[in-house]
Amino acid sequence: MEIIVCIKQILDPDLPPAKFMVDKERNKVIPPEGIPFVINPYDALAVEAALKIKDEKGGKITVITIGDKSTEDIVRKALAMGADEGLIISDTIFEESDSFAVGYILAQGIKKIGRYDLILCGRQAADWDNGVVGSVVAEYLGIPIVTRAKDVKVVNGRVNVERVTTDGFETFELELPALITVSSELGQARLPSGWGIIKAASKEIPIWSGKEIETDISKVGKKASRNQLMRLIIPSYERRCEFITGEDLHEISAKLTSKLMERRIHE
Amino acid sequence: MDRFDAIVVGAGPAGCASALVMAKAGLKVLVFERGKYVGAKNMWGGAFFGPQINYLFPNFWEEAPVERLVTRHVISFLTGKGSVSVDFKSTDFGIPPYNGFILLRAKFDLWMAKQVEKAGAILATGLKVDDLLVEGEKVKGVKIGKEEFHSDVVILAEGANSLLTQKAGLRKEFSSEDIKQGVKEVIQLSRKTIEERFNLKGNEGVAMEFVGLCTRGLPGGGFLYTNKESLSLGVVAQLSDLIKNRVKTLDLLEEFKTHPEIGKLIEGGQTVEYSAHLIPVAGLGMIPRLYRDGLLVTGDAGALLLGTGLILEGANFAIASGMAAAETVKMAKEREDFSQRTLSHYQQILKESFVLQDLETFKKAPKFLKNARIYHLYPELIVEMAEKIFRNNGEPRKGTFRMVREVLKGRISIWQLFSDVMKARKAI
Ligand SMILES: Cc1cc2nc3c(=O)[nH]c(=O)nc-3n(C[C@H](O)[C@H](O)[C@H](O)COP(=O)(O)OP(=O)(O)OC[C@H]3O[C@@H](n4cnc5c(N)ncnc54)[C@H](O)[C@@H]3O)c2cc1C
Repeated sequence: MEIIVCIKQILDPDLPPAKFMVDKERNKVIPPEGIPFVINPYDALAVEAALKIKDEKGGKITVITIGDKSTEDIVRKALAMGADEGLIISDTIFEESDSFAVGYILAQGIKKIGRYDLILCGRQAADWDNGVVGSVVAEYLGIPIVTRAKDVKVVNGRVNVERVTTDGFETFELELPALITVSSELGQARLPSGWGIIKAASKEIPIWSGKEIETDISKVGKKASRNQLMRLIIPSYERRCEFITGEDLHEISAKLTSKLMERRIHE
Repeated sequence: MDRFDAIVVGAGPAGCASALVMAKAGLKVLVFERGKYVGAKNMWGGAFFGPQINYLFPNFWEEAPVERLVTRHVISFLTGKGSVSVDFKSTDFGIPPYNGFILLRAKFDLWMAKQVEKAGAILATGLKVDDLLVEGEKVKGVKIGKEEFHSDVVILAEGANSLLTQKAGLRKEFSSEDIKQGVKEVIQLSRKTIEERFNLKGNEGVAMEFVGLCTRGLPGGGFLYTNKESLSLGVVAQLSDLIKNRVKTLDLLEEFKTHPEIGKLIEGGQTVEYSAHLIPVAGLGMIPRLYRDGLLVTGDAGALLLGTGLILEGANFAIASGMAAAETVKMAKEREDFSQRTLSHYQQILKESFVLQDLETFKKAPKFLKNARIYHLYPELIVEMAEKIFRNNGEPRKGTFRMVREVLKGRISIWQLFSDVMKARKAI
């Protein structure tokens, strides 16, 4: 069983809101100093899903990410959890790629790896929440996909998936190779063990360039981007408290009603 | 790789310093840190004094996340009616290798840990060491859950809440008399506002200490440090007095923030961080046994820090003791002997350095600093005296000494005052 898991480095979603800052002019998030990036929690669950299959059936798990050398930390984290190999795809030509380009880059990387039975991704990244990449990768590779899995099992050379819907779940059975995106309903990702961390620490993590994965430059970077970020702002919350007084309940509720009506008209 | 030369517990200044020195000497070093990442749980007031970091990382200020240099010290006596301050500015402190550095621990510890990893040590975060592995008299490694890790020596750098040091039988139960509690807020302000408000330029910074009202007169004090784009504001108080008087440090800090003197300085700022921590500052008497077969204790875990009232220094003691422990392990490795006979060398290095010498010099400070008059009566006397000296109410003036007598009258005898001054002379 050859499993590939795509992971992404994001700002820690547990970041206290006061530490979240944006550069309004450049439309960019300013990463706070002293708080390291983490694996996208959905991707950590994809790693968990892969490990569960490996625990049961054996096999090899390769994690793959796009980014500079600093992404090594999250790759090592996945290795410490129990993945076997790590891989970083890194090139300046990838900068400011959108989700479609990212899907393309990952697909190119996976093609170069060559062998795979199952590809797992998180259902979306908890920073931009686009949820596109998995589908794009499957499209480029021409393999079936099921999104938002809460359970992934390999049985007799096929994969059984339970897919979360708004009011329950659907069950799918797919031929391998296939791509599954994993949802939070899968459960909890395991924490790395001490020996896991020690083994991961000395592991070589190859870095592949755009050239090595035979990138078509017209498909990546800012120019290839299909959508454009117009404005990045931090929403402001305002709380107001007003006491409504009156002679009796009747008057108070009448006042309250007219207040509410007023606000409906204004906002 | 199934065993290590050394396992370090805790990646604060003490742990990082010892791991770095050992890794650089080619030893196989494993560091455990319980925080999700290094620095996640670490706090302090704000300034590092002395050359120790520079010993570890020459010219570190060129690349490490230093907030500002301490070029100005202010000590203030606060009362409800006003304050009297000593304001010391030094041009020399702004010249390399500098005297003091204002640092935010979360950033700085993370940076330090990166250097430790680069030097070849393995850093395992998010893992809390539960216990020591002991065979007979010898410490042989550590235990986390069901996992065991073996090494020739374990260095405890676990900080103030030194449970493993206690488990190893090296220290007794702490008493609330031996412990101070500190709370701190980081308050965000623009760089420009900070520089205008505190009269600073470029990388200049100020370290402020407050005595008096900020602890409601209980033993302890307040502090304020200027970071690049925030202020660290906090209060430290004796735990036993907090318990006795049913006061929370959190409430002290809230009150401190509303004092007119402080209010002005933090106005318009937004609190972005809040933290609390213990400080084991009872001086020499509190220091546990610092070594046994296969084990060394460093930094706050060894209560190796100095509080004289005017200064609270721990991080430099932590680094110096971490380095001393590392040197000792290097020697033990050469001799292939990790018994307490060789490891006692650690105590020797500390005795010859400022670490134990300063603690010896100021050994009377902890007891002296429990004198409540320092925090209650004296700030009031000083402020009243100043008020009397500067007040002009149109009446003929009195001589300064007569004024002093008036202020003291009925509140403290000359003999009591004299005795306190004499004690201060011996203690600090
Ligand atoms: C409010 C306050 C203000 C201060 N101001 C100053 C100042 O201005 N200047 C100064 O020099 N000093 C100051 N100090 C003191 C200084 O912070 C400490 O002396 C210093 O941090 C000690 O370093 P350490 O490495 O021994 O311990 P710590 O910095 O406490 O580090 C211990 C580390 O060990 C980890 N750990 C603990 N137990 C385990 C375990 N079982 N397994 C794994 N990891 C573990 C902890 O998570 C932590 O990271 C202040 C302290 C406080 C509380």
